[in-house]
Amino acid sequence: MNLRSRWLAVPGFICIAALATMLSAYSGASSSEGNSPVQPVAYRHTVHVDTLKMNCLYCHFSANKSFDPGLPAVGTCMGCHTVVTGSSPGNKAEIQKLTAYWNKKEPVPWIRIHKLPEYVHFPHMRHVNAGVTCQTCHGEIQNMKQVYQASSLNMGWCINCHIGQSNPPFRARYDCSSCHY
Amino acid sequence: MSNEPEASPPTVTAPNGVKRREFLKVLGVGTAATAMVGCTSEKVERLIPYLVSPDQTVPGVSTYYATTCRECSAACGVIAETRDGRTIKLEGNPDHPVNRGALCARGQAALQGLYNPDRYRGPMVRRNGQLQSVGWDDALQLFAQKLGETRSRGGAGNAVFVNQHESGSFPGFLDTWLAGFGMPAHLSYDAGADHAAIAANRQSYGVAWPRLDFHAARLIVSIGADFLDSWGAMVPQQLDFADARADHDNSPRLIYVGPRRSLTGLNADQWIDCRPGSEMAIVRMLAGQLPAEAAAQATGVSAPVLAAFAREFAAATSSMVIAGGGGGDGLEVALAANALNQSRGNVGVTIKPSEGYLGFDRMAAPAELRALAERMNSGGVPLLMVRGANPAFTLPKSVGFAAAMAKVPFNVSFSSYPDETSELADLILPDHHTLEQWGDAEPVRGTISLQQPTMDPVFDTRATSDVLIAAAKKDPGSAARYPMTVYRSWLIGRFPGGAAGLAAALPRGIASGSLGEPTTARPVPAVRTPPPIDQSSGNMYLVVYPHPFLGDGRGANKPWLQEIPDPVTKICWQTVAEMNPATAEKMGLANGDLVTVQTSAGSLTLPVLRYPGTQRDTVAIGTGRGHTHSGRYAKAGFNPLEILPLAEDRAGGVAFVSTKANVSKAGGYAQIVTTEGSARQHGRGIGQAIAIADLQAGRPGHDTGAANVAEVAANAGTEALAGDHPAGAEQGEEMPGDAPHQFLPGLRSPVANDAQGEQGDPKSKDKGMYDPNHWSGMAKRRWAMTVDLARCTGCAACVSACYAENNIPTVGADWQVGKILPDRTGFGANLLRSREMAWIRIERYYEGGEDGGADFDTRFVPMMCQQCGNAPCEPVCPVYATYHSPDGLNVQVYNRCVGTRYCSNNCPYKVRYFNWFGYGEPARPQYAFPEPLNWQLNPDVTVRGKGVMEKCTFCVQRIREAENRAAAEKRPLKPDEFTTACAAGCPSRALVFGDAADESWTVTQLAKDARAYHVFEELNTFTAVVYLKKVMHPAPSSSGGA
Repeated sequence: MNLRSRWLAVPGFICIAALATMLSAYSGASSSEGNSPVQPVAYRHTVHVDTLKMNCLYCHFSANKSFDPGLPAVGTCMGCHTVVTGSSPGNKAEIQKLTAYWNKKEPVPWIRIHKLPEYVHFPHMRHVNAGVTCQTCHGEIQNMKQVYQASSLNMGWCINCHIGQSNPPFRARYDCSSCHY
Repeated sequence: MSNEPEASPPTVTAPNGVKRREFLKVLGVGTAATAMVGCTSEKVERLIPYLVSPDQTVPGVSTYYATTCRECSAACGVIAETRDGRTIKLEGNPDHPVNRGALCARGQAALQGLYNPDRYRGPMVRRNGQLQSVGWDDALQLFAQKLGETRSRGGAGNAVFVNQHESGSFPGFLDTWLAGFGMPAHLSYDAGADHAAIAANRQSYGVAWPRLDFHAARLIVSIGADFLDSWGAMVPQQLDFADARADHDNSPRLIYVGPRRSLTGLNADQWIDCRPGSEMAIVRMLAGQLPAEAAAQATGVSAPVLAAFAREFAAATSSMVIAGGGGGDGLEVALAANALNQSRGNVGVTIKPSEGYLGFDRMAAPAELRALAERMNSGGVPLLMVRGANPAFTLPKSVGFAAAMAKVPFNVSFSSYPDETSELADLILPDHHTLEQWGDAEPVRGTISLQQPTMDPVFDTRATSDVLIAAAKKDPGSAARYPMTVYRSWLIGRFPGGAAGLAAALPRGIASGSLGEPTTARPVPAVRTPPPIDQSSGNMYLVVYPHPFLGDGRGANKPWLQEIPDPVTKICWQTVAEMNPATAEKMGLANGDLVTVQTSAGSLTLPVLRYPGTQRDTVAIGTGRGHTHSGRYAKAGFNPLEILPLAEDRAGGVAFVSTKANVSKAGGYAQIVTTEGSARQHGRGIGQAIAIADLQAGRPGHDTGAANVAEVAANAGTEALAGDHPAGAEQGEEMPGDAPHQFLPGLRSPVANDAQGEQGDPKSKDKGMYDPNHWSGMAKRRWAMTVDLARCTGCAACVSACYAENNIPTVGADWQVGKILPDRTGFGANLLRSREMAWIRIERYYEGGEDGGADFDTRFVPMMCQQCGNAPCEPVCPVYATYHSPDGLNVQVYNRCVGTRYCSNNCPYKVRYFNWFGYGEPARPQYAFPEPLNWQLNPDVTVRGKGVMEKCTFCVQRIREAENRAAAEKRPLKPDEFTTACAAGCPSRALVFGDAADESWTVTQLAKDARAYHVFEELNTFTAVVYLKKVMHPAPSSSGGA
């Protein structure tokens, strides 16, 4: 390696590193996309949504009227699971975990997956009431054995929808102050 | 968390481990902004559900409870906004007969009492000289035991209960309880009340506090009666006064008589700067009993001024004379003023006893507490109980209340907060905050104002009423009379219509009827009247006055009230000695020079402030600061009550103006903690005014109807001529803004004008959101505000509302300044470096009086981001963090901001504020919201991090909320459907917000007013804030009979 190539190598390496960083940032690789933690109770969206055809709003009861989609209370679970105790040993074990929380009068400490930064205000009800399906952002949740973050939730991902739709009811504002305040 | 306070919820309980409150903390994270975390977070965050969902509430959607404010005796109605179980904002109750939707700064700051980080966490007992935490069972047992002991030893008749003054049914409940133990009726104490005025009103009119009908008067004479500061029912008085002043043609003239121009004084058209203690001479002159020359001799005011005053008063068709001021002869002056009203036929016309306020009845005079202290000293009081009052601080130190407490065998405090009195207690049974408990008030006759819990208690406190019931149940003699377990049941038992009636009344917060006991005046014990003030020794008169926010000191541990500048002096976090500039000059004192103020009771060394509203022979000091044991924020400043000799007026009130003092230069210097740059406008035309004669005659200084940019440009050269007022117009000064103005709701920022279609594609049919024809309709709107300076009194209620709504940090505490700096100067150090964060401020400018004379005018100018159509801040931002939104807002995107501060440098209005430290970051020492103050944070507004610029955006979160609500209901926005936090609370109705591009909004009509102008219009900023000039009402002789 001669002197010239050595002098080129250092800035060259820095350039490549910077480029890689930028690319990863714009590709959404910096988000928690794909994050799929093991939950304290292995709740099955597959059973409840796909098999039993329960409406999402039964549990996430405020998604159509609030910024906050609502998280079902343990009492909501127990509304069925005092009777429904599970068909397979695996299911029984998970339902017993739930019952144990209920009997101890403790909430289930779910692990959060979808999280927007606090300087973003996301009105769930505007989206749900316009007919945007839950799956549009949260993925095919009815087929997820263990829930994972299907979308990057990065701003570019938001904007692609907000400027990409020109017909009602999906067309949306893309002014910064629609979400950032 | 239950949002149904009328039913104490048994459903959601977690006896071990996680408390319900803890669930919420995590449940609310989606909205409750606590830390700035990026898109990715390494930390595992938990989502904690409820065990059982509370009924009737939706997460993320506010619930509103009507309740009653207890920050002063007036008992205004408030609506508490509660989100996910926490009360986050108070607003006035529009249906309430007292405050009619308005709320003052002290009312707003009630939340900082609720979430005060220094509150008692639970009951405490003194063991081995130290206060120690104890369980409620033990505490109640001890309380019951001491009650029993007191009675069995025959001391019950000498036990004393001191309660904060309040109207409603609790005082009667308390007296019944005390009687059950053989104890005398309680002392109802309000250190902030003007006892002389109350006693005089009762004697003259038969009521403690009549309604003052300012609109019916053509001349108001206030003799130290600070009806806009803290004298009486402040909010309704301010509403009535502002309404009277807004009717320009029939507006009353206000003449203020007194040694110090208070906020009320600064709102007066004329100030008679009489010497302290000489007010009687003025009243006698007005009554025709004293010639003007003799009055001039007594008061130090020039004879022609007084003669003109007397002539004006004699000629006034309807007048009002009100007197306060706290002099040793306060009762005599107030009685003489009332006699003047009676002889002039004002009673029933401008002074309406039949519509009076009941919040001032049944009050114990400070003289009773002084007499109590004497009894305590002689060992005559076996048991002292104090709730909601702080006599050890609010009485002059010369009374010696704190020392007397040491002679009482057992002191019980029901205080929610540590204070100078509870610090000396042997047992502390902390009360719920007002917003956590049941109660009622009767602010005006026939109206019950209800108080209900707006959330579950923050700490392990209990309502004193419930504690009293529990104590009675432990006593065989009293138990039978208390079948109920909680005060709420007792209340329902007496409420018209019972439980159903209460439930029906709660949504509005008011009901017809009366729950209170009959109100009678209490006898006043022998008082210690001072000798005439001129017989005391000293080179200056000492005037001690109540601070408009901190009052008697109860607000001192609320950082908002410390940080919001005093409306008069613009001082924060500091106590100063106010002196007339001419006097200070003569004594060689500059602003900040330390002086020693020495009286017969003690001395105080504090910095001088040159304030032109101080009479030349007077030094004035405000109360409220200088606490020793009231929490972390309350330590700022000094307490002038420490040097006030024992003196009472004949009504038993503390005579705050009763002595002279020796004022001498102490050497040394302390920087004045103020937020103002200059008290003068220097010809900038920020706060403009027009004489009433000019306004009526349509003379220059107002709109000529010009409607386009070309005309403004053509008129630009004629600005100087436009200020050329005809002779006779007193306020004819030339102001840049005198040029004909026009209001351009359609004008957009250059960015908007450059809009070239969707994504910059010239071929796109969609021209983008800046196109007025865009489907979103955003560009059809132009959010705007009018500020009527004829209404604004400068009270700063808007500032406190803004702090509450927008998560604005306070920065003045002494630990919030960077520790690297060598000149760390304690409280207010950040403010000295202009780091205050108030998005809206009240600029206060003096006109005239440069020589220290009394003839100066004051302009109050609320200053917030002007949302310029052509904003200087926008083009200089290198990262587009600030830009113009299609609906006319100058938006600040916090997550884009990199903190260059170019925008702030380029802002002509200086309304952008920079986060020099991590005020919003819990891990930093500068954190402005120590737990649980952070519970108050508005989840709709981002908490800003370090290095970020922030500013007013017309409460954009409220705009978006209203738009969301309208979209959900599939309808357009209704005119005046919502408003900003500052406009909602304004007790003068000076601020009006709305869509200036839509004729049906009120703001559009107001912006067309003849008095309208823009601040710095010559800069072509095309602001969205329109100011309406103050209207001057000069004395009849000088304006040619206006």
